[in-house]
Amino acid sequence: MSSPRTMLEVKGLAKRFSPRSGQAAAPWILADLSFHVAEQEFLTLVGPSGAGKSTLLNIIAQVDGASEGEIFFRGKLIETADGAALKPGWNCQIGYVTQDDNLLPWRTLYENVTLPLKLQGRFDATGKARVDDLLRVTNLSGFQRYYPHELSGGMRKRAALIRTLAYDPPIILMDEPFGAVDAQTRTQLQQDLLRLWHRGGKTIVFVTHDIGEAIALGDRVLVLSKSPAKIIAAHNIGIKRPRDLGNVYRLEGFGELFEAVRKDIQ
Amino acid sequence: MSIAVARPLPGRGRVRRLVPVGRVAVAIAGIVLWQLGSNAMGAEWLPGPAEVVARIWQLTISGELARDTLVTFGEAAAGMLLGGSTGALLPFILRLSPRLMTALEPLIAAGFGLPKLALAPLFILWFGIGVATKVVFVASIVFFLMFYNGLAGILSVDPRLISMLRVSGASEWLISREVVWNTAKPFLFSGLKIALPRALSGAVVGEFIAADSGLGWYIQNERSLNDVVGVVAGAVIVTVLVMAVNAMLQRIQARSLAWRPVAKDMAL
Repeated sequence: MSSPRTMLEVKGLAKRFSPRSGQAAAPWILADLSFHVAEQEFLTLVGPSGAGKSTLLNIIAQVDGASEGEIFFRGKLIETADGAALKPGWNCQIGYVTQDDNLLPWRTLYENVTLPLKLQGRFDATGKARVDDLLRVTNLSGFQRYYPHELSGGMRKRAALIRTLAYDPPIILMDEPFGAVDAQTRTQLQQDLLRLWHRGGKTIVFVTHDIGEAIALGDRVLVLSKSPAKIIAAHNIGIKRPRDLGNVYRLEGFGELFEAVRKDIQ
Repeated sequence: MSIAVARPLPGRGRVRRLVPVGRVAVAIAGIVLWQLGSNAMGAEWLPGPAEVVARIWQLTISGELARDTLVTFGEAAAGMLLGGSTGALLPFILRLSPRLMTALEPLIAAGFGLPKLALAPLFILWFGIGVATKVVFVASIVFFLMFYNGLAGILSVDPRLISMLRVSGASEWLISREVVWNTAKPFLFSGLKIALPRALSGAVVGEFIAADSGLGWYIQNERSLNDVVGVVAGAVIVTVLVMAVNAMLQRIQARSLAWRPVAKDMAL
């Protein structure tokens, strides 16, 4: 399964949390989950709510540990279930855009977006130019000095997105990043994301419960089963790029793919 | 793309301008009531405002006001430094060891429940009747107020923000400084809001028990001389001192928590 161009490989991953009091053993959230992501691929994972999608990304980002299995990054073993110390973000190589924007409420938009660069000691002229460019592309210029609570939901989502893009990790995990916004804003955010991805160099693992979104964005869709989650189907998305997300249902082949994925999930 | 900026409700500006007017009106009403009460009860039971103001003026000129205020204020400030800062700091340290926190919390709760006034004889025995006793007395009160507010702040830290910062390459020290500190700050201000007046009144009560200067000593002394004007004047001076400290705290708080989505009028 692994080829020289494999960026991330997940092998036999399983997870269960420690049992609650009165419980003999906690149920498995993930069971024998394996997949790989190629360099510069846009991979989408779709599965029902509560399937353990966030848990999976937490484990890949090393925010949480695995119970079983291994994860390889560019062929190098970076995580096992042996209880070794986790390194969240794997030295800033794995970016993570979470469901909530998680902006620091006491920092302005600009401070929030530039914080990772500052933490990594990379807030130089190049870093600044990069941030300014990202702010412009996402229509956030002019709002640099606003606090998160003064911004709309869509703006906060875009801020969270470019906060991660600004420090340029080779792979970015996204956990339903566009969940809690209205449909129109969502399409706009998806289009922004694809435009940024088209600039190249980025590998994305995008998790969603929305079949349409998974197909519209991805090169490949992996379907997760109900908990305990495992991969039950994979579909290559042949829809040619760039895609017009305003008319996603008219894209060639969309209907058939949608129907196929829907059947998989049932 | 619209942005959600909190705008004042219609007519709110006019209401805001009316607030100082209302305050003055209430203050005048209070003084009038005070005078009426004094008339009804007799000045030997409750001296009127004019008499009390005259006494305060007299104390100002003689320098007694400055001396006693400074003594009381100094005791309260030293007590805050000793007890308040350790109380505020302790939750940040206990955060590093949840086990130690669980072990210590009931003991601290017991300490909080202990009536400090009942310990006053012990404090006098240990620290004498000088300034030290008052400082320790104040510290023993404000320590718990700052500790419990600080603890509430530490416990309300959002773990998602911590994960996000870790993924972006933040050290544990930076996470403490950025997330824990900024989350706890409003709680510490709430703590100060309660602890500072309590520190001043603690110093005053401490001086009731044993002292040779300070506002509490003055009140106690006038009481023993049956000088009701002096007692009321002392109480008024303490109240004004508390209000001044409060106003200062509010200014610092407004500047330091400017990011919060709270209307300016609500910054209590």
